[in-house]
Amino acid sequence: MKLVTLDPTTAPPGESTAFSMAPRPASLAGQTLGIVANGLGRSELMFDALAEQLTKWDDLAGSVKVVKPSVAVPPWPDQWEAVTNGATVAVTGFGGCGSCSTRSMRDALDLEAAGIPAVCIVHEVLVPAVQALCRLLGADGYPFVTVGYPLNPTAMWDEDEASALAAQVLDGVRERLTR
Amino acid sequence: MSLRSATVESDGWVEAVDAYIDNGWTDGLPVIPPTPEAVEAMLAAAGLDGTEALGEIPTRSLTVEAEKVAINAVMAGCLPDYFPVVVAAVRAHLQPLANAHSTTATLAGAAHAVVVNGPIRNEIGVECGQACLGPGFRANATIGRALRLVIRNVFRTVPGVLDRASFSWPLRYSFCFGENEELSDWTPLHVLEGYRPTDDVVTLMSVMRYLVATEFEPEPEAILGTLADTARINGLLVDEFVGDARGMMVILGPEHQRRLMDAGWTKESVRDDLFERMTRPTAGKHDNQVHLAAPENVLIVCAGGPGLAQSNLLMPHLAAPTHERVVRP
Repeated sequence: MKLVTLDPTTAPPGESTAFSMAPRPASLAGQTLGIVANGLGRSELMFDALAEQLTKWDDLAGSVKVVKPSVAVPPWPDQWEAVTNGATVAVTGFGGCGSCSTRSMRDALDLEAAGIPAVCIVHEVLVPAVQALCRLLGADGYPFVTVGYPLNPTAMWDEDEASALAAQVLDGVRERLTR
Repeated sequence: MSLRSATVESDGWVEAVDAYIDNGWTDGLPVIPPTPEAVEAMLAAAGLDGTEALGEIPTRSLTVEAEKVAINAVMAGCLPDYFPVVVAAVRAHLQPLANAHSTTATLAGAAHAVVVNGPIRNEIGVECGQACLGPGFRANATIGRALRLVIRNVFRTVPGVLDRASFSWPLRYSFCFGENEELSDWTPLHVLEGYRPTDDVVTLMSVMRYLVATEFEPEPEAILGTLADTARINGLLVDEFVGDARGMMVILGPEHQRRLMDAGWTKESVRDDLFERMTRPTAGKHDNQVHLAAPENVLIVCAGGPGLAQSNLLMPHLAAPTHERVVRP
């Protein structure tokens, strides 16, 4: 006789939602970069260097940076307002730990839903996690920028490493924020 | 009662267990196959409809419904009478300050301690004394395991995918125990938190570090000093999100408790003393301030058995200890 039992898992919520990316500008010239930083390690150094280099090479108009109250939570409401009111494109991260990488990916998806082109910067170690979150939320294949070793995932970098990393991700960030 | 989950057909009990393991729905150990009848009995024991929402994980856009929690409680081996405690544990973990996304996806692999207070401990057999943190007690083992299976299957936190624990640890199989309220007239944890002595309450604590503090000297000064020094080895940083709600837990062993009681200490005075010692400014590499907002953030639970003069400290992940009353129909 057959034994009938029940599936213990929840269905991915993304199965019932449609995800679409925000329209991209042709270039970053004149855009304002939102930075939704999670405060992991010394990753702010990388974001600061990235904004500086994008200003220098791409004529970025300016930037709005917020540092969230903990590594794996949404921004406070006033931080979210500051970014969504002030930025026209955005970066999130740094995705260097399990919960912070996925939360930063969620920040990027939320920005897209708010009409702001975004990209999350993720360490290669956390790629399976952010891809899983994207699948869960119906955003399978959503592009992001990865960095890898020898830089450690938890962002314990010095200033030179952070600056070099910003230069390393520059092309990928530009590519994913523009059409 | 109508259940909405998809069904799985197997040729028999053993085949069903194998199918659940093969599908990645267990902790690696065999489970009890969750038949609709068993799941309905679980829900009935808590007076819940399967569609009732117990909470959400906003980062994952997940709503946790009672039916899925009941299925996982059956799989864990819970008796229906345990289910109200499981529900309270899940609700506690889904409170915003419990930060469920963070504590389940983290590299650090936080464990989740479920502490039970109130009369239900004795009614369902939650062990509070000898060896209560280890194997051998069905209520402890299966309630803690049920929460972990919910985290895996309902929160969708699969190791190597959304669960990024670098090592994880054995406390993640199951971590549930009760407070030994009958050992003394000290105030139970849930009463200190504002509940009535007759209330049944679950406290949920996401644990980053489990520290053992052994002190054989009988003087309270030595015991309290060792407890505080142990916490101060790594200390505790401020987290803006958790803020003043951040707390740590002392599982005070009976040998230490007896010495302190004999010297006239109460749980409240122990708490105040430890707070003062632990929150002193950092003095060196291995002597770090434990940043807590108030003595009330030192949660003291009396548990364990006689013999070894030991207590245990649970240092938190990026979450606050949360409490939830157990609701029985």
